[in-house]
Amino acid sequence: MSAPLLRLEKLEVTYHRVITAVQGVSLEVAPGTIVALLGTNGAGKTTTLRATSGFIGLDDARVTEGAVVFDGERIENLPPHRVTALGIALVPERNKVFENLSVAENLDAAVPRPGARRRRSIELAYEIFPALGRLRRREAGYLSGGERQMLAIGSALACAPRLLLVDELSQGLAPLLVEEMMRRLETVRAETGATILLVEQNAQVALEVADYGYVMENGRIVLDGTPERLRAHQDIREFYLGTGGGTGRRRSYRDVKQYRRSRRWYG
Amino acid sequence: MQIAVNIAVLASIYALICCGYVLIYRATRVLSLAHGELMMLGAYGLYATASLFKGHPLIALAAAAGLALAVGLAVYAALMWRMTGESVLAAVLATIALGILLRGAMMLAFGTLTQHPLRDLGWENASIGLPGGARISAVGAALILSTGLVYGGLFAFLRGTRWGMRMRAAGQNPLLAAQRGIGLHGIYALSWGLATFTGGLAGMLIALDAGLESTLVIIGLKAFPAALVGGLDSLVGALAGSLVVASAEVLLIQYVDPLLSDVVPFFVLLAMLVVRPWGLFGTREELDRV
Repeated sequence: MSAPLLRLEKLEVTYHRVITAVQGVSLEVAPGTIVALLGTNGAGKTTTLRATSGFIGLDDARVTEGAVVFDGERIENLPPHRVTALGIALVPERNKVFENLSVAENLDAAVPRPGARRRRSIELAYEIFPALGRLRRREAGYLSGGERQMLAIGSALACAPRLLLVDELSQGLAPLLVEEMMRRLETVRAETGATILLVEQNAQVALEVADYGYVMENGRIVLDGTPERLRAHQDIREFYLGTGGGTGRRRSYRDVKQYRRSRRWYG
Repeated sequence: MQIAVNIAVLASIYALICCGYVLIYRATRVLSLAHGELMMLGAYGLYATASLFKGHPLIALAAAAGLALAVGLAVYAALMWRMTGESVLAAVLATIALGILLRGAMMLAFGTLTQHPLRDLGWENASIGLPGGARISAVGAALILSTGLVYGGLFAFLRGTRWGMRMRAAGQNPLLAAQRGIGLHGIYALSWGLATFTGGLAGMLIALDAGLESTLVIIGLKAFPAALVGGLDSLVGALAGSLVVASAEVLLIQYVDPLLSDVVPFFVLLAMLVVRPWGLFGTREELDRV
């Protein structure tokens, strides 16, 4: 197996010097793969993503333990623009486009990674999302939710990333559109060769496209495996896919007593 | 006709000054209250280069313009970059302190006597006749022309160039801009450089027209209402606001009392704040940060 492009080693992130949001998180993302980081609200997924992209400093948070290693280089303390220059692009959950700029300007404003071909990166964005070509002159503030998501991924692609970090792709989109966007992520991987780390609450759709998945709860990784293994796991079916409870009522993992959960995860 | 010419000249002065306020505000969300002093520094820069390059007025002008650009970049590099990420209030207070320091330093260095850079450059301010019996000074015409060129250049830069797009992007959403690899410090430094360049140019032209003295800073302050009336984040607004303020000022001076000159811009500003606080072309949410 090739060396991972991204490796988190026992990562610990603390907000305001007192609140530990992520504890001992270790994960690996192999080159050219799509890896899903799953979990409910507040599990620490986005914090993990922001620690990787260098943006947690803006939230008065910092990496207090562990390391973020990208292509063999430790990057946990690098400023955001240095991280982007290394070839890591983030598609954020909110405020993902420049609303007063046209679609074309959104793509043009992106700064490609040094050494990458800028024109080719933008052409790729238009090829993967042909709708953006038709909307070229439209101000991004007037785009629909799906179009914004396409533009957000497109303008991240204009940075010619080696690693694309996608935060909650399914947020606010209709189910059919979510499936379509997930298929586009596969196209992105195929066309650009980019590696993708996908943070997602919607385990069902994320596991459709992912090569590997990690599950986070309460700031820790509690389970990882291939999509087949995760889908077969009783707790994943019960708490994340809503198919394994047997009671007809979907439950959260928080509904289950901790001692039973521990026995289940580690037993 | 003469009134229209006077309005055009005064509006050009205000527009040339207040585009600096707009450039810095829309990129960094900071209101630079040192802009009047930086404008005056540009004028003193011309006074200095005029003595340095005696007999070469164009070289002196170009050197002074380059100096103004460099001063803007230096102000960002030495002071304002440390304010990135701090509260807007801290940054605004820093500009006030900078303005006071600059004013004091200029008084120490150049004294309080009125200087005449036009004479030092070996030029004369000819009066040009216009149709309708109106007259305009050569420097007044240069002011209108310069304002047109500066605004044309700024629109072309912001709309048509990649750096311009990045400047607009960074002003709108700095976090996303950083995520797209845009170096915010470069953009902010550029906006300070351009703002000081245009402000310095205004200072130089005013000094060429009417002489250079320490009261020049008042004109910089009077241009501030024009920027606010137009809407602080809009260059089109800056043009419109300058025209409104200049029209009010010239008409009231002409028909009511010349002593009103210094208070009219602020009267227009108060009226606008009551009726439409976000300005003619500004956006509502932007004003929350002022």
